[in-house]
Amino acid sequence: MASQDHLASLCKVVLNNLEYQHDWTQLQQHTRAGLSRPLLYGLPPKRLYVHPDEQIDIIKAEKDRGERIPQEPEVEWVLPVHLSEKWSPAQFAAVFDGIEAIPPGGAEQEASEGEEREEQWRLWRGPKRGKRILLATVQDDSTVTYYWIFDGLVKPRQN
Amino acid sequence: MATAVERRVRISRVAGRYLVFDIDDVLYIRRHHCICAVLTGTMPQNPTQNLFLSLPVELQAEEAQLLVDTGAGYIADELTDHMSRLSTTMDECTRKAYLQHIKQQRRNAQRVFEEEKAKVQAMHQNKRKANKPSSSTPSTEPAPAAVTEEDNLLFDNPKPTLPPSTTIPKEKEFSLPGVTPTTSYPLLPISTTPPAAPASSASTDAATLSSYPLYKYLNSRGYYTTPGLRFGGDYSVYPGDPFRYHAHYLANSYRWDEEVAMLDLVTSGRLGTAVKKSFLFGAEKPGGQQSGVDGAGEVRVFCIEWAGM
Repeated sequence: MASQDHLASLCKVVLNNLEYQHDWTQLQQHTRAGLSRPLLYGLPPKRLYVHPDEQIDIIKAEKDRGERIPQEPEVEWVLPVHLSEKWSPAQFAAVFDGIEAIPPGGAEQEASEGEEREEQWRLWRGPKRGKRILLATVQDDSTVTYYWIFDGLVKPRQN
Repeated sequence: MATAVERRVRISRVAGRYLVFDIDDVLYIRRHHCICAVLTGTMPQNPTQNLFLSLPVELQAEEAQLLVDTGAGYIADELTDHMSRLSTTMDECTRKAYLQHIKQQRRNAQRVFEEEKAKVQAMHQNKRKANKPSSSTPSTEPAPAAVTEEDNLLFDNPKPTLPPSTTIPKEKEFSLPGVTPTTSYPLLPISTTPPAAPASSASTDAATLSSYPLYKYLNSRGYYTTPGLRFGGDYSVYPGDPFRYHAHYLANSYRWDEEVAMLDLVTSGRLGTAVKKSFLFGAEKPGGQQSGVDGAGEVRVFCIEWAGM
């Protein structure tokens, strides 16, 4: 019971942090039978992650068009954890196996604006998008730091 | 290409380290097996910076194991091989033959030594005889045919029938060369058991290393690895030859159910991001006999980067 309370308060801390500090919208809690704890998903104010290969495709497309392509934010998964927790690779694998690459609601968002022709850079928002989760690590002083965790080999960004 | 396939790299196992001494082998494993390993050779008196190290190349246990598994190399275990060769001479008749051989060598050496000595003595004798007529002192022997005799002495086998008045002491003639043992104590214990395995089939202890599955996973995808201690991980992982690329990942291997402190993941992820890398960790899923042909299970890897928010 205590652990349930702990998870609930953990989710609440992260939810509040995302909503009020990072201005996320459409935040939802996601529970499923296969998952050991509830996940969150929501829409950040600006795009959080661009895969390096996607970046190349975007630059190519921008060159062809001769104008910048506005990058709409994507709906992202969030996994709340406490910094003192210990996770095994098996647990991470279970979480990734329990989710789809695109959170619920993300697919519709893409479909509404996806009436244009198939472009390489656009595929990264759909079929080419890999599974990724924003790891929200909560500290005792309720500081939350965010890390991307990717399923599989994902090359680092050119930052 | 055919020669490249047939090549088998000799990996010398010396004191628990896996070393490759052949420069062609080093080039071959770098080009065809994505193993660059670490150059370790330096002068003991004047150790240089690691930029200038040379042969031999030291392989990690995982790399040696991979070469053995793919059939591209074999482990030459110096110690067991040495011991096995030694113990075959402990077989009774081989041992006798060997001792006989040594005795024969000794007899040959003795004979040559005697001949040489006799020649030298004869030569000194003749010189003395040649000098003596000019000094006109009475000699013990008449020396009219000194030159011709010397000529004969060079080619014939002369009997050491020298007069007792010569200055060469005769007593030393019998201090013969002995067979000096090359070790000061026996190499083998007296009751020796036969050695375990022939050297070529000897496996490394990497099969039991927990990081081997992850290493194999990365290598099979064409990634090069170098030791990752400088970034606090097991490996630095390069997408190609480290001469051409920066590392993409710093990698750690865990067991499937190993509990990893979140703080470790976070700090490694932050360090990786600071050096423009991604922190990769992976584990082998146990019981994957249905997925792997070689009994290896599925390897799952995850990458962590700072999210920048």
